Amino acid sequence: MLDDLVFGMAGSGGDGIVSAGEFLISSAAAEGYHAIMTKSFGSQIRGGESSCRVRVSTKPIGTSNGTLDVAVALNWEDFLRFGAELPVGGHTVVIYESKTGVAPDKLPLVGVTPADVRPVPIGELSKKSAGSDKAKNTVILGLLAGWFGVARESILRMVKKKLAKKGEDVVAAAERSFQAGIEYALANPLKRDMRMSPPKDPPGQKLLTDGNDMCAAAAIFAGCRFYSGYPITPSTEIMQLLSREIWKYGGTVLQAEDEIAGIGAAVGASFAGLKALTATSGPGMSLKTEMIGLASIAELPLVIVNVQRGGPSTGLPTKPEQADLYQACFGTHGDSVRPVLAPTTVADTFAVTVEAFNLAEQYQTPVIILSDQEIGQRKETVDPIDTSKFEIVNRLQPNSAELEDYARFRFTESGISPLSKPGMQGGNYLCAGIEHNEHGAPTASGAMHAKMNDKRFHKLAPLVHRKDLFHIDGNANAPIALVSWGSTAGVCREAYEIAKAEGVGVKLLIPILLFPIAEEIYREFFRSVKAGLVVEGSHQGQFFRLLRMQVDLPAGLRSFCKSGANPFSPREVARELRHAMMALQSGKADTLQPQE
Amino acid sequence: MSAELPVIAASCHDPKDFKSELKPIWCPGCGDFGVLQALYRALAAIGRPPHEIAFVSGIGCSSRIPGYTTAYGFNTVHGRCLPIAQGIKLANPELLVLGAGGDGDGFSIGGGHVPHAVRRNIDLTYIVMDNQIYGLTKGQLSPTSKPDLKTVTSPHGALEAPVNPLLYLLAYGCGFVAQGTPADMAGLTQILEDAIRYPGFSFVNVQSPCVTFGQDDWQVKQHRAAMKPLASLNHDPTDLLAAMDKARSYGSELYTGVLYKNPSPPPTYDQLVRERQKALGASNPSPSRILDAFLQK
Repeated sequence: MLDDLVFGMAGSGGDGIVSAGEFLISSAAAEGYHAIMTKSFGSQIRGGESSCRVRVSTKPIGTSNGTLDVAVALNWEDFLRFGAELPVGGHTVVIYESKTGVAPDKLPLVGVTPADVRPVPIGELSKKSAGSDKAKNTVILGLLAGWFGVARESILRMVKKKLAKKGEDVVAAAERSFQAGIEYALANPLKRDMRMSPPKDPPGQKLLTDGNDMCAAAAIFAGCRFYSGYPITPSTEIMQLLSREIWKYGGTVLQAEDEIAGIGAAVGASFAGLKALTATSGPGMSLKTEMIGLASIAELPLVIVNVQRGGPSTGLPTKPEQADLYQACFGTHGDSVRPVLAPTTVADTFAVTVEAFNLAEQYQTPVIILSDQEIGQRKETVDPIDTSKFEIVNRLQPNSAELEDYARFRFTESGISPLSKPGMQGGNYLCAGIEHNEHGAPTASGAMHAKMNDKRFHKLAPLVHRKDLFHIDGNANAPIALVSWGSTAGVCREAYEIAKAEGVGVKLLIPILLFPIAEEIYREFFRSVKAGLVVEGSHQGQFFRLLRMQVDLPAGLRSFCKSGANPFSPREVARELRHAMMALQSGKADTLQPQE
Repeated sequence: MSAELPVIAASCHDPKDFKSELKPIWCPGCGDFGVLQALYRALAAIGRPPHEIAFVSGIGCSSRIPGYTTAYGFNTVHGRCLPIAQGIKLANPELLVLGAGGDGDGFSIGGGHVPHAVRRNIDLTYIVMDNQIYGLTKGQLSPTSKPDLKTVTSPHGALEAPVNPLLYLLAYGCGFVAQGTPADMAGLTQILEDAIRYPGFSFVNVQSPCVTFGQDDWQVKQHRAAMKPLASLNHDPTDLLAAMDKARSYGSELYTGVLYKNPSPPPTYDQLVRERQKALGASNPSPSRILDAFLQK
């Protein structure tokens, strides 16, 4: 029995391929499997080709990338449009609509002979069982349940639940189509038994969600009561969830006229005392930078989410990339610093978002969460989260003695000054984007500017010692390093396990805090390192270069990067690690230069 | 850490209560001094204590004004007064929220925010000190500069037509539109007070001449001679078409007073927000149970 299967399916817009994927992952989640689902569409607003990948596993997983174990093509034209997103290999079982007329030994797949090829009269089975070809996706679910044994009972239960409001006839038809798929599968067994092992975790305990919903839920949990923003793919679901829910908690959502007003109203709400959030993607981030500078100098807490997509400019609106890192760290003029955090999974988006609000409140600073389309929009099973273990931080407010002689920007040992809010008697001050003295009065004094800059940088100094914001694993003396961040970290966690199992002396570092650079933590980590990889989805390898700016990196550490929308697979990263090890063994590591 | 401090509803009726210790950077004779004085008086007439007032501005000479009051001030970035002011009012609708800035701030760099602030109808007052020039940067063309005006950025004469703030605001649907001048301090004070008392988004355009870079023939002295108080013209401020007709002559006539005041103001956005929060918050859900919605059974 198998522990892990990656399914990939493609069809035309009306085929219901994506909803088949959704039933599959919902059922797997309900039964206690770990699962990840990504969707991909053509650029049409309606119709056109659509596809999904669903990985189901009995163990925790970090990605659904990699060669498919099971490929389902309702027609080959649509399937092939997804190219590298649905790679077929020598071990893949290919299931396709026999009506396409393609012979099993003449598949339009270049240079690969799949392990098992199954032309199935999917449309015909649908017509026979349900009276139309609208049930093709239910037939496919039956085939998958029959051949791979995944979530048979719960799929049927979910399908019935979903279709209940469409009437008994529809439900009965769906049941027949599902059964037709199962029966076909049982009557035509695969070359080898590919049924999955039952899940190791108990049923009914997993959450099923995506990074954007997780971020929005975490914001409410962290006490955020104000959201303003402008809709932009692929971040809009954050705003949508909050638009439905935040009112129940006494909060407000404002759909602003543009990205600048979106962050502007959030800055205003923070000044007025609320925890505030805005979310966007690259193009919006470009517009928001002036307000990031304002929140920095005005020392106002604010959380900004950038669900990254391919750039620059409009770029690739529906695909992930990790190329907004420079912008997150440095975007806005002047000397300013703001924490930049990156979630690595749907699950940790919750903790990262809560942390972002806590840091914003504690240090009175804008905080940027760098998510990306992959994490933001993929569906993923999440183990139960114990919300009672989270601490919620609120901004330091002046006490009555401090209000007797209030100075908003008073120099303190920590650099943090108590923050009043309108309505608080004695706390009146002038908040400003212009440089100011301790009382908020505008100044053009170079001496005061230097002191204030020092204060604003100094208050964040403790942050770089937060080891809990770095996931480090492996033997401390390992000579090979694997470093990754954001959504590629999930791939690298798996690559790390593969490489370790192969005997590669590798250790892993995944920063959640990307900026400011925690120099000491990196120095300590790299002390034993002779070679290794920094893996990320950008053309330049922005994190690698950022690290090199501030940390003396081992000569053999190189950047392994690709432009966004070119997924990494755990196996290819593991292969690169193996190469690094072999180079090291043959004494060549010193000559390995960072890749340009 | 302090506990939440109570809002003390003591009233303040002395204009001095609103005057801060900061000395204005404005040139002697600047129209903005008049606006500031009129505002002190209007706020005193209203009587809300300074700590219950949030006064927001953008960038420019006039945008320094919040610092010259004892209110909570927020001198933001160029053109962004309104988004920030709206965020403040929505976060705490108990506050009295004022916005201020110049004609460049409001109708050039920040012009895109104005129609949306108007249609949202959040209860705040926006005061534009309109001097038809960029004063802080020393005399460049502004969006309200006269046609053909020669400035350092239009040395051969301006090629574009000016905007008409009054007509814009009326066309956007603003429920309260007025114009004043420091040449008539009593009138300006009354306009500001009326604007602040109006329940909804209110707009006051103040002809506030720039003594240094403005036109010599359009200073307070000339205002005094040219101004036509609407009250003396039998103007009906509830008549939108009459208001628009008067507004059309912006730039050639100096009408002062309330051009338009909606006689039946619709509910404000901030009121509707409170109602929605109350209605949807009735179930009083616990934030710590927020993830339950994602449980897959």
